[in-house]
Amino acid sequence: MDVNVPDARLMPDTLAPPAAFSGRGRRFAWTLLLLAVAFGAVPAAIVGTGSSYLAQIAITTMIFVILSASLNHVTGTAGLLSIGHAAFYGIGAYAAALLSTRLGLPFVVTLPAAGLIAALFGFLVALPTMRLVSIYFAVATLGIGEMIYVVLLNWVDVTRGPMGIRGIPPISLFGWQADTLLSRYLAVAVIAVACVWVLHRLTHSYYGNALRALREDDQCADSMGINVERLKIESFVVATFFAGIAGALLAHTSAYIAPDNFRFMESILILAMVVVGGLGSLPGAVVGALFMIVLPEALRDIGDYRMIAVGATMFLSILLLPKGMLAEGTALGFVRRSFSRGWATIAGGTPVGWK
Amino acid sequence: MVFDVFFLQQVINGLSIGCVYALMAIGFTLIFGVLNVVNFAHGEVYTIGAFVGLMVITAMAPPLLAVVPLVLAVGAVSGVGLERIAFRPFRRFTDEASQKSRAMREATLLSSLAVSIVTREIMMHIFGGDMQGIPSGYLLQQPVAIGPIMVASGSLVIFATSAVMLGALQFLLYRTQTGLGIRAVSNNQLGARYVGINTDRTIVTTFAVGSMLGATAGILVGLYDGAISPHMGFAPGVKAFVAMVMGGLSSIPGAVACALLLGVSESIATEFLSSGWKDLITYSLLVITLVFFPQGLFGHGRERA
Repeated sequence: MDVNVPDARLMPDTLAPPAAFSGRGRRFAWTLLLLAVAFGAVPAAIVGTGSSYLAQIAITTMIFVILSASLNHVTGTAGLLSIGHAAFYGIGAYAAALLSTRLGLPFVVTLPAAGLIAALFGFLVALPTMRLVSIYFAVATLGIGEMIYVVLLNWVDVTRGPMGIRGIPPISLFGWQADTLLSRYLAVAVIAVACVWVLHRLTHSYYGNALRALREDDQCADSMGINVERLKIESFVVATFFAGIAGALLAHTSAYIAPDNFRFMESILILAMVVVGGLGSLPGAVVGALFMIVLPEALRDIGDYRMIAVGATMFLSILLLPKGMLAEGTALGFVRRSFSRGWATIAGGTPVGWK
Repeated sequence: MVFDVFFLQQVINGLSIGCVYALMAIGFTLIFGVLNVVNFAHGEVYTIGAFVGLMVITAMAPPLLAVVPLVLAVGAVSGVGLERIAFRPFRRFTDEASQKSRAMREATLLSSLAVSIVTREIMMHIFGGDMQGIPSGYLLQQPVAIGPIMVASGSLVIFATSAVMLGALQFLLYRTQTGLGIRAVSNNQLGARYVGINTDRTIVTTFAVGSMLGATAGILVGLYDGAISPHMGFAPGVKAFVAMVMGGLSSIPGAVACALLLGVSESIATEFLSSGWKDLITYSLLVITLVFFPQGLFGHGRERA
């Protein structure tokens, strides 16, 4: 008997996909659906209503999708609670803004440069702080986040301090300018989808499993031959890289940035997205970002009470859904069934499991 | 003269700011001790203390000494309410796996944060977002000359109040049954329950005590600075949090020492740097402490101290 095939009696029914709708078909269907929403429904709505307000929300949502997916990578998957994520978002935004306004570099250069500069800072921060555990690491990231904010606010010669940077050129690609709302949205959406795809491949791989092992018990992971220090630093660098990318997108789409966009409350908002969506679950992070951005906008009619509503919703969702809207277990099962070859079925309809 | 008079004056100002941070940091430390969770709504208790103090002053114009017990009572009530709303619901899972789970702890942290957002926004609606002035009769800004140094009367009041409250706290913790309970729960919650301590009641008491200190700090700063706003709790909250972590999370003397250190270094930093950069000193101290003394300056694991 082939040892790779698990005993059918041990497999819960719910985990076994129906034979007619195998892994590959599902994967295709889900990918198609998500892409249709991102590139069909939303642009159609933007064009249909012609509302710049709606477009702005869609762009902001996409930027926060990148941020919460990247924070989920380090906090949810690798288990390092970071509460200074907005600072790296700020570094990316300022890097892109300064490179494009002072040196006149094109978007093709500023976008990766913003990511790399943020990742470099992430690396420098990670090196000394990786020895810290749990709450100490969280507080260190808080302190570093606030330090970066203070520097952005007070280093007036470079960052123009509280006045912020104006006139950042829009996204452009080899002569094509994203100066209409729709094109701006599409450019951001393409990059956001690419970032989430990269994070998806990282998280749902053996590498992602190593990160989860690290989160559950780093001493045990160490004894199993996983290079704990290196993995922690790598996951932090990856997360800060994507935060930098998100910052560059913010700078190029809103044309104006100021230090207040990158304060502690912003970090907390990103963390809330990850927690509301479900710690450790990438679909959850995306859903959480959609929820926490769209909800306050939907509540705008209530006017001044919307922040109260946001706080109350956050509280209720933590109270009633302690594992998040798409809990990690559910999400992993879902992703593996739908997107991964690991759950592909062989002829008889029996799932193969991980090879 | 070896010491500049201005320098000494800055040190004294710094010590009084440090005392305020210390009062807040003790609340953090007590609550972290018994629950193992950070209470992010502590800054809001501070703001509530200041606003209730102002309301009482404008409504009844009582003598200053009568304001303090009232603020203490308000602090206790808000602490108990906070515990009931933001913390109790998350203690329904009592099994060991949930108590150790990271997700549960982060959920509690975020729930206190959510409650603090809601509280702050409600206060914004009631009192408006602007700074509110304190009636001049109650301001603690008269200069008092001690030798060559001029000290604001507010600093002296803050010193005296903090000293009294720290003394009372030491008495409570080391000379009473309640204090024994708090120390037992903060040492080992499960063990405390096994020997018959009512852990729920102890946790509520801890919240009440910690919030009393926080609310008093709020009204003292209000009277000293002369203006209060719904956002005033954020900065001292973060500074007190930093002091707690530098002190080693569960050590009260450590938290007090680090709070004083932060206050003094901030006010000395304003002499060399512009005031915008002074926060950088606080956070660099934090990061340096964490990197070189990962358990805090007064923590248990003092292998590098």
